[in-house]
Amino acid sequence: MKHLLFCFLSLTTLVLTAQDKKPKVEVSGTMGVTYEGYGLNRNPTGWTGFAQRKPWNQVRFTFQPTITTPKWSLPFNFNFNTTPTNVIGPYANIGKQNIGQYITNPSNNFAFNPKYKWAELQLGTQYLNYSNLSTGDVGVFGAGVDLRPNVWRIKFFTGVSQQGINFFSGGPGGSYKRNNWMAQLGMEKEDKYALLFNFAKGKDDIGSVTTPPPGILPQEGFTMSVVGKANFKGGWYFTTEGAQSIYTKDLTLPVSPTSLSQKPFLEGNTSTIKDFAAEGGIGRKSKNFDIGAKVKYLGAGFQTVGYPFMQPDRIDYTLNTRFNAFKNKTNVTASIGQRVNNVSSTALKAKQFIGNLNWFSQINDHWSVNINYNNFGFQSNSGLNPYGIKNVSNDFGVSPTYTWSNTKMVHLLSLSYNYSKYDERDVITGLTTSNNTHTALLTYVPSYLTKDLTPDFSVMYFLNKLPGFKTTLVTLSTGLALPAMKKKVQLRGQLQYTFSKNNTFTANNNFIASCNVDAKLSKKLTWTNYLSTNYFKYGNEILPNGANYLESNIRTGLMYRFGK
Amino acid sequence: MKKILYILSSIFILQSSIAQINTNLIVSATPPSSLLQWSTSRETLIYMVQSAQGIQGQYKIKTEIKLSDGTVVGKTDLARSLTYTLSSANTIYNANDVIPMQYMVFNGKYKTALEKTGKLPADNYEICVQLVRPPDYVPFSEIKCKSFYLASTQLPILVKPANEEALNYDQAKTTITFRWTPVVPKPKALVTYKIMVFEVLENQNPVQAMRSNMPILSQEVKGVTQYIWQPQGIISANEKFANDSTKRKKDGYVGHVTLIKLRTINPANSDSAFKDADIEETSSAYVWTIQSLDNLGQPIGDGNVNGNGVSEPTVFFVRGKVKDIKHDPGTMRKVKE
Repeated sequence: MKHLLFCFLSLTTLVLTAQDKKPKVEVSGTMGVTYEGYGLNRNPTGWTGFAQRKPWNQVRFTFQPTITTPKWSLPFNFNFNTTPTNVIGPYANIGKQNIGQYITNPSNNFAFNPKYKWAELQLGTQYLNYSNLSTGDVGVFGAGVDLRPNVWRIKFFTGVSQQGINFFSGGPGGSYKRNNWMAQLGMEKEDKYALLFNFAKGKDDIGSVTTPPPGILPQEGFTMSVVGKANFKGGWYFTTEGAQSIYTKDLTLPVSPTSLSQKPFLEGNTSTIKDFAAEGGIGRKSKNFDIGAKVKYLGAGFQTVGYPFMQPDRIDYTLNTRFNAFKNKTNVTASIGQRVNNVSSTALKAKQFIGNLNWFSQINDHWSVNINYNNFGFQSNSGLNPYGIKNVSNDFGVSPTYTWSNTKMVHLLSLSYNYSKYDERDVITGLTTSNNTHTALLTYVPSYLTKDLTPDFSVMYFLNKLPGFKTTLVTLSTGLALPAMKKKVQLRGQLQYTFSKNNTFTANNNFIASCNVDAKLSKKLTWTNYLSTNYFKYGNEILPNGANYLESNIRTGLMYRFGK
Repeated sequence: MKKILYILSSIFILQSSIAQINTNLIVSATPPSSLLQWSTSRETLIYMVQSAQGIQGQYKIKTEIKLSDGTVVGKTDLARSLTYTLSSANTIYNANDVIPMQYMVFNGKYKTALEKTGKLPADNYEICVQLVRPPDYVPFSEIKCKSFYLASTQLPILVKPANEEALNYDQAKTTITFRWTPVVPKPKALVTYKIMVFEVLENQNPVQAMRSNMPILSQEVKGVTQYIWQPQGIISANEKFANDSTKRKKDGYVGHVTLIKLRTINPANSDSAFKDADIEETSSAYVWTIQSLDNLGQPIGDGNVNGNGVSEPTVFFVRGKVKDIKHDPGTMRKVKE
């Protein structure tokens, strides 16, 4: 950590010196430090019914200057913190990290991307998004290049996406070290066409841990894809990608004569699977009318190291449109589509229908109205149960807004009402239960034309009913923003009270107060502060009766802006 | 005559051997659909071999996987499979030994399905196991069969808020309703759904936020597919910045997630009195997911992608209130500061 801070300060000095002495060198971007503190006081003592929601203490550093010379561009992207807070993935519950683990922890980013004309060197942690089916969600610490001579695209990057972490009881779940590389070759002309070939590989190092993580298998995957894009006259466009993945789910298993392989990239064993995926889109965009259709298919065995959470075995297709009408005073967006999961299984195929409509009309200078409707249906075959799953959700919302003004003020009054009906069928009895929700929100925002005060007021009513259960909430809130000290300080405060009641239990009460104080210390230095407190007292719905908690947040940070 | 005597004595010896070798096959009625996971979850298949004192010999494990109508879809290639030596002690075998994938031969579409997914298609199956003597593979034990049903577990799909949906802050600060599809097929025991929401901080992409931040909501609910959350001040729309996925995709990389101030000018207003009014919105980004757990608290999943039972995450935005609307009362245009 000390080394990192030293580097951070050294680079800061370098940048500031460069900025002062070399006028041809321009520096833009920001750097800053933020402290966040969290407090939680639960009563009665020993009651644990409400869990901590933020780290007790956290310090975050950001250092993102871009040094630009007539020929070079040198962007830094350093973001790191003092306390690991991982809960999902291999770094979960990690305590003391070694330097390798600290650098590759997704909490931290250390990247430097010097660029000279069409050549970019990529160093440090990079979240490279080559395409939708090859790689895009994984941060890799390493080195690579992004070369774009004329229409050509040549990209390569190699590094480590996770370090080997030993498993020990009560500590981190552990992980194997994963080495990745990725490459892209092809040609592209911005907003005209693209033809790109992508390759992405990841392989776990079996020997990287001394106590292997239980339940986690060392794996290897290789994906290759081809992307095609074309834009035509009249706003027509076409995009497509086809991909094939080969994935070994357990590197410790033996090879067999029938094992699948993709030499020289991957030599498979009995756990190796191979499948493909594809997506495509076609449509037209114009000022007042858009229409498009998209389809995406992921084979049941399609798996790529570049998108670790991608759910395979599905096909989605959607048709969407947008248009303006009535002299552009009406704007409509709509989409309709279906998603089929478990495509490979005729017995357990599950279908979702999705339909959305949003209609906005500016009726006159005073009135506008927004109407939206969403329908979602999910249905699967019964399998071993007497009935299949069938869930249907229908949401309808209408939001009229009225605006009026005089010489001193502009008033905005908005009412929003939403009705949501969610039906679920019990797979054993076949009975359908309805879950109905009504939400009404009234907002009033007066804006003073002669003063710097910006208050707002809102009241919200929420009712959720399902057989045997009823929840009611009423929230009152108000806020006020105003400048101070010759507009060098911006103050903003908010109060919120919520009354909530479940069935016949006595009501819960919640009070929240928060404020922001943002001060401009100099032309380039800003000091931001945020304080909030949240007091919640339960009724008699939980034991012990009268349980309550007080939660507090504080955030203070300094942000320096480079450049003019 | 000698031949007949030899055959009869062989049959007698074999029968008496079979009688003295006890085997027992235990198979989960609803095992994981991924055959690989049969090996990692050792309790999925247990095959016990016990012999009486004095019985000696070598054997192979012959396995057949059949459909309920008796059609064989896969069997052990006995010519290549391992040979074991009978021991007087109890010997316990697991899926690795009974269904050694390197020695199994599957037919037609079952072979294709295994190569693509590592799973057999969802159906009712029967597994039959028997010890046989090399080299002629005559039975060495009774045949034991068990039925099971294979179904590929489908983790929940996040429904509401939909991916990249923008919620109104004034409404979201009081409640946000989360909905998801149930685990399919529905397990016999009640499923526990753990809903987790993570704030996407500046300079983070959503998956990075999920893998590195502490969740601002981590709540378990049992058997239901809806949760009404009261954020109680933990969400905000005051960040002034939000991840701009459009730009991120256009740039082709997310290492330097470009953060821009969301500035929405409703196209429908372009001819209205608000023509040049700047309606500025602030927004914060959140990513949410569901982890599905069985009645023992173990993650549900078939080891396909998300062995830890975590569903594919989606992102939602919380849009702040309209800010700084200052209009000249005559022209209704924004007053420049």
